[in-house]
Amino acid sequence: MTREQTRKIENYIALSLSGLAALAGLFWLVFILGDVLVHGLGALTPDLFLKDAVPAGMTGGGLRHAFVGQLLVTLAATLIGVPLGVLGGTFLAEYARGTHFARVISILADIMVSVPSIVIGAFAYAILVRPLHHFSGWAGAVALAIIMIPVVLRTTEDMLTLVPWTIREAAFALGAPYYKVIIQVVYRGAATGILTGVILSIARVAGETAPLLFTSFNNAFFSTDMNGPLASLTVSIFQYAMGPYDDWHRQAWAASFVITLFILGLTIAGRALLKWRYKK
Amino acid sequence: MTQEIDLEVKGLQFYYNGDNHALRDITLPIYKNRVTALIGPSGCGKTTLLRCFNRMHDLYPRHRYEGSISFEGRNILSDKEDLIRLRSRIGMVFQKPTPFPMSIAENIAYGLRLKGIRNRTELAGRIEQALKHAALWNEVRDKLNNSAYDLSGGQQQRLVIARALAVEPEVLLFDEPTSALDPISTGKIEELVSVLKQDVTIIIVTHNMQQAARVSDMTGFMYLGELVEFGTTEKIFTAPDKKQTDDYITGRFG
Repeated sequence: MTREQTRKIENYIALSLSGLAALAGLFWLVFILGDVLVHGLGALTPDLFLKDAVPAGMTGGGLRHAFVGQLLVTLAATLIGVPLGVLGGTFLAEYARGTHFARVISILADIMVSVPSIVIGAFAYAILVRPLHHFSGWAGAVALAIIMIPVVLRTTEDMLTLVPWTIREAAFALGAPYYKVIIQVVYRGAATGILTGVILSIARVAGETAPLLFTSFNNAFFSTDMNGPLASLTVSIFQYAMGPYDDWHRQAWAASFVITLFILGLTIAGRALLKWRYKK
Repeated sequence: MTQEIDLEVKGLQFYYNGDNHALRDITLPIYKNRVTALIGPSGCGKTTLLRCFNRMHDLYPRHRYEGSISFEGRNILSDKEDLIRLRSRIGMVFQKPTPFPMSIAENIAYGLRLKGIRNRTELAGRIEQALKHAALWNEVRDKLNNSAYDLSGGQQQRLVIARALAVEPEVLLFDEPTSALDPISTGKIEELVSVLKQDVTIIIVTHNMQQAARVSDMTGFMYLGELVEFGTTEKIFTAPDKKQTDDYITGRFG
């Protein structure tokens, strides 16, 4: 066999192996999505969105209370996490640019992104649930916000760093103070990128269950009280899937389908926004 | 030739990072409504000198000025100088066009809003006036709300000049304004510079000696942080006093 032939065979083997690996990964992804689609779509009824839970063991009812609870907690988390993340990222990219301090914070934020979410749930439990002796929507929102902050902070920092420095100099040269340069010029240039980061961070926390188990816990009844335990889709899915009733399983599938679709939609929107920005 | 002096540089020393002596004992007058060109090889300090006039160096830590630059009766290098006010009196145009990520009209309005002009009619009038002044109006009058990034490089540079002119500065600093442009756009900017000197005093840093000869009235030749020779452009380019200047002008070094 000539060397050329050996090379061709080696190339073929490497190609087949990496192709197989990709297929194996894709298979499970498609399998999961397909499974959720098949089971979820079939179980999807208007009642799921319009009715609250019925007592355990009875058929019927829906997950309206969980949708509303999830929405409230996610919204509150966004309201807490996004401003902190954006302001923190602005500090790192603008006022502390190039300093040792900024680099250390950046690295810490990167580490925070990969901290297991259950650890953050336990942390929120220790500071907001135990001292107050009750579960609350706020504690859940804070736990989710803590997960969001490093994501938003790092995206903001990266996006602001991408805005050419000369643009800032040009604004300074017109006699603008730094805060106006940032708010009126730099944010304009980085807006799409920062928005993408915000959307992706919402997608990141929308599917979290672990941090909510310790914090907002769950609630079988409709509630909008952020000071008390609050139902959420993810925790309800956990509870229903573990439960003994067929109707619970059916609803858990439907809820899984809805939440998967929601996160998928957010992620696609975020990516599309980013692509659109760089095409310009 | 009797001329009014707009900015007077006296014994200016400038240090980067505490001890990097970038400008050595610079003394020169900048005449009102004249174009002063600063020429010299890369690293000679001409851009550093230009950025002293609007205190651009203050954006970065560990710089130091010594000496003085008098402008409107005060030393603008003083710690008490109001930099925001100074920069609205002395505008700057950079090497690469620096439009802001907003529409053409908003780009011009930016400086005006900083000055506190909010009235819509007045803004619209001043935007038109500035764009006409920078010879850009006819090209953009129908697309004032388009992104400034849709313009060509040469148009962007004229937009940036219009933006600087809109705040009605006394002096305009140009830092190699045509080095990123094609010859036709360069010609338009040079023409513009010659017209603008009726209204503003201009200091231009350039690598292109023909450009300095074409647009300027006064020329300063700098080398290694020193101002080697300063005089009328005609004299510098035809009969310089110093041999170094002659060598640079004739392309023997630099």
